[in-house]
Amino acid sequence: MLFRRAILSAAFLAGAILAANAETITVYTSQPQDQMAAVIAAFNKDYPDIKVELFRSGTTEVMAKLQAEQVAGKSPADVVLIADTVAMTQLKNDGRLYALNDLPTEGIAPEVIDKDKTYFGTKLITTGIVYNTNLVKTPPRSWNDLLVPDVAKRLIMPSPLYSGAAVIHLGTMLQQPEFGWTYFKTLADNGAVAGQGNGTVIEAVARGEKAYGIIIEYMALNAKAKGSPVDFVFPKEGVSTITQPVAILKGTDALEAAKTFVKWQLSRTAQEQAASQGYFPVLEGVAPPAGYPKPSTLKVLPADSNAMLRDDKKNKETFADLYGG
Amino acid sequence: MAAEAPGVPITPANRLWTGERLLVALVLAYVLFTTFWPLARLFSAGLQSGEDGAFLGVMRETLANRATGRALWNSLITSGLSALISAVLGVALALALSLLRLRTQAVLVFLILTPLIVPSQTMALAWIELFGSGSPVLGPLGLAPAPGTANPLYSAGGIALVMGVEHMPLVFIATRAALRSVPADLVEAARILGIPNRRIGTGIILPIALPSVLAGSLLAFTAAIGNFGVPALLGIPGRVSVLTTLIYQRLNGFGASAAGQVAVLAILMTAIAAAALVLRHVTMRRLSAPLPAGKPFEATRRAPVIEVLIWALVLLIAIAPLLALTMTALLPAIGVRFGLDTVSLAQFARVLGNDAVRRAFVNSLFLAGLCALISMVVSVPLAYLVVRRPNWLVRAIDVLVEAPWVVPGTVVALAMILAFLKPLPLIGVSLYGTMAILVVAYLARFLPLVLRPVTAAAQTADPALDEAGRIVGAGLWRRLAWIFLPHVLPAAIAGAILVLMTALNELTLSALLWSSGNETIGVMVFALQYEGNSTAAAAVAMLSAVMVFAICGLASACARWLPDNVLPWRR
Repeated sequence: MLFRRAILSAAFLAGAILAANAETITVYTSQPQDQMAAVIAAFNKDYPDIKVELFRSGTTEVMAKLQAEQVAGKSPADVVLIADTVAMTQLKNDGRLYALNDLPTEGIAPEVIDKDKTYFGTKLITTGIVYNTNLVKTPPRSWNDLLVPDVAKRLIMPSPLYSGAAVIHLGTMLQQPEFGWTYFKTLADNGAVAGQGNGTVIEAVARGEKAYGIIIEYMALNAKAKGSPVDFVFPKEGVSTITQPVAILKGTDALEAAKTFVKWQLSRTAQEQAASQGYFPVLEGVAPPAGYPKPSTLKVLPADSNAMLRDDKKNKETFADLYGG
Repeated sequence: MAAEAPGVPITPANRLWTGERLLVALVLAYVLFTTFWPLARLFSAGLQSGEDGAFLGVMRETLANRATGRALWNSLITSGLSALISAVLGVALALALSLLRLRTQAVLVFLILTPLIVPSQTMALAWIELFGSGSPVLGPLGLAPAPGTANPLYSAGGIALVMGVEHMPLVFIATRAALRSVPADLVEAARILGIPNRRIGTGIILPIALPSVLAGSLLAFTAAIGNFGVPALLGIPGRVSVLTTLIYQRLNGFGASAAGQVAVLAILMTAIAAAALVLRHVTMRRLSAPLPAGKPFEATRRAPVIEVLIWALVLLIAIAPLLALTMTALLPAIGVRFGLDTVSLAQFARVLGNDAVRRAFVNSLFLAGLCALISMVVSVPLAYLVVRRPNWLVRAIDVLVEAPWVVPGTVVALAMILAFLKPLPLIGVSLYGTMAILVVAYLARFLPLVLRPVTAAAQTADPALDEAGRIVGAGLWRRLAWIFLPHVLPAAIAGAILVLMTALNELTLSALLWSSGNETIGVMVFALQYEGNSTAAAAVAMLSAVMVFAICGLASACARWLPDNVLPWRR
C-alpha cells in the first residue's frame, strides 16, 4: 500500500516536472535584477502560462557559467539576453545559437539584427559620461575633457574583464584613430581607475567617491530620476553603443516558449516597457524615455564588431596591464 | 530492519553485529558522498601534472603566478592583522566584563556577539555605509571622509579592520571562558598576601587566560583566511585580492577550465588553515595548566568610567554599522541625503516585490531547515558509533566529517563543482546547476555543528544503560531510539539551531554554486550590491539580519529546555 502510494506520488511528481518544463524557460542575462523582474511581470501579462526563470550576473560570469554547464552535460539555459555582441558572436561561432528565420522583424532597426538571424538587438544602450552634481560645476562635454589630470584622477570606468558594455566601449574607442590606446594610456597615467561592471561606477559616482565616470546611459539617468546627485552627458564626438541582443540556445527543451519570449522582446509592448526603464527602443515609432535625445540625432561612433572579436583577448590583456586586473 | 527480518534464526550477538555493520555502512556511504569524494577530487585536480606532463605541473605553474603570490601575501597580511585586532578587542572586552561588575552585563554580552551573528557580507555592507563619504551616521557629525575621496575601507587595512571586528567574538568567548575558570581562592590568597591588584592581573590571571587568548586568536585567523564576504565587498573594488576572492574571480572569469589552478589555491588555503589549527592544538596542550576546582572568581569592583567607555566601543562596533545600514535601506537611491523628506519604505516594498528576492528567502529557509534536519538525523547514529563502538573506521569518519567545516568554504564549494559537474555515474544526472549541489555542500559543511554537541552529550551519558538494554534483548535500533536518542536530543536541537542561523546567510558556498531559480539570501545581497543597487542590497541585508535576530530570540525563549552552554550569547 505504502509502496504503491510512493510510486504514484513519484509518477505524479515526474509528471509535474515534465509539465512545468514545457512551460518554463530559463533566461541567462546581464540585465539588472529588478528590471528583469518588471520585464517578466509584463511578459506574463501577455503570456501567463510561460514561467520565466532567471540567472543574472555580469556578462563574463554568464559566459563562464554556460561553459561550465556545457562540461556538465547540459545547460538549463534556453535564452540568453546579454549586453554585448562580441560574446554573442562567440556563442554563434561555437554553433550554439538557434537561427530564427521566421521571426517577424518589420520596424526593427536592421543594424541590430544578426545577418544569420541568430540574435536580435532588443535595445540601444549608449556609453557616455556620468558626473556627480555636488562635485562638478562645469560638466564635461567631450571624451577629451576627461584627459585633464584633475578630472582623470577622479574618474572611474567599468572594466571589460567584467562588463560586456565595457568590452564594446573599449573596442569602439580603440577603433577611432583620434583615441586608440593613447587615450586609455593617458587616462591611466593621469590616475583614472577601472571598477568592475557599470554598477561599481554608478555606486562610486553617486556616493561621491569619484566625481566622473564612464557608464551606460540608463544607469546614470535612472539613478538621477530616483534622486541620486548625478547627471549624464552624451559626448560631442559620439557614443559607443550596444544592442543587448537576445538569442535562443540550441538544444533548448522549450523552443516554442523561448521563441515566444524572443518575439515578445521585439513587440511594441516590450519596447515601450524598455523605454520606461530608461532604454532607447529599437522599434520604429516607440518614443525614447523622457529627457533622452531622439535616437536619430545621436552621434554614434562607428564600430567593426568582427575586428573587435578578433582583438578581444589582446584588448582585455592590454587593458589589464594598464589598469590592473 | 534487515537484521530483524522474521524467520531467519539470528543469535543476539549476531544481530547486534549485523545491525551495527549496516549502520556503519550507511554512515560511511553518506560521508563518502558528501565529503570524501569531493575533497579527493579537489586534491587530485590540484596535484595533476601540467600541460607538458611535468610532475605537479599545475601546482608549480600556479604557485609561480604573480597573482597567486599577491593574493597569498594579502591573505596572510589581512588575516594576521585582523586576528590581532580581534585579539586586542576581544581580550579587552572579556577582561572588562569578567573582572568588573558592570550593569547591563547580559545586554552587553549579546551586543558584543552580534558581529558573529550578523552575516559577513551584511557586516561588510554596513561598514561601507558607515565609513563612506555619504555616511548617514558620520556625515551629520562632520566625521565622514571628504567628498570625492574613496571609501577608506576599500583597502587591506579596511578588510583587516572589518574582519577583525567580525571575528572578535571568537577571542572574546575563549578568553571569557578562561577567566571564568580562575578560582576565587587563588585571587583571594594573593590579596591576603598583599600582592597589588596589577600584579595579580599580570602574574595570576593573565597566565591562566593566555592559552585561551592564543587559541581564540588562531581561530580568528583561520576564520579570516576563509572569509569571503568581507574581502569580496571591500577588496574587489579596492583591488586587494585575497585567496578566496581570487578563486571566485578565476572561476567566474574563466569557468571550469581554471579548475586545476583554483584547486591549487584551495590547497594553499587549506594548508594555512591546517597549520593554524595545529598550532592552536599545541598551544592548548602545552600551555594550559590544570587548575584547582573551586568557586569561580566573582567580580565585585564597579567602574562607571570604564562602563561608559565599553558602551561607546560596543555602540561603535555593533550598533553604528547596523544603524547606517538601516538608514541606507530607507533611502530611495545612493547619494541621496538622509532626511525626513527623503526616507521611505519603498526600497523594502521593491525588494519584497521582486520574485528573485522572495525566492531567495524561501530557498535559504529550505536549505537551512533541510540541512539542520538531516544533520540531526545523521549525527545521532554517528555519535553513537563514535562514543559506544569506536573502531578505526568510525574514528576515521569522525575526523573526516570535520574537514569541510575546518577548511575554508570556498574550498568546499570548489570540491563540489569538481565532483558533481560531470553527470553522476549510473543515473547520468549532473547535480551542477541544481539545488541538489547546494544541499550536498551545505550538508558537508554544517554537519560538525550538530555532531560536536551531540557527541559531547553522548560522552556524558552512562554506558550502563545501553548495556542494560542489550542484556534485556533490545535491538540496536530500539536502543538508539529509546535509550540513546532521548539523552542527546537537546544537544541535537541546539546544534540544529546553530546550523539554521549559520546556513540562512551562507554566502561562500552559494556564491559559487547557485544557479537560476536557486538563489540564496547571501547571493542576493552580494549580487544587488555588485550591480550598483546598494540601497536594495541594504534592504535585503536588513531583512535577513532581522530574521536571524528573530531566530536568536526564539532560541532564547526555548533556552530552558536546552542544555547549558548551547547558545553562545548565554554562556
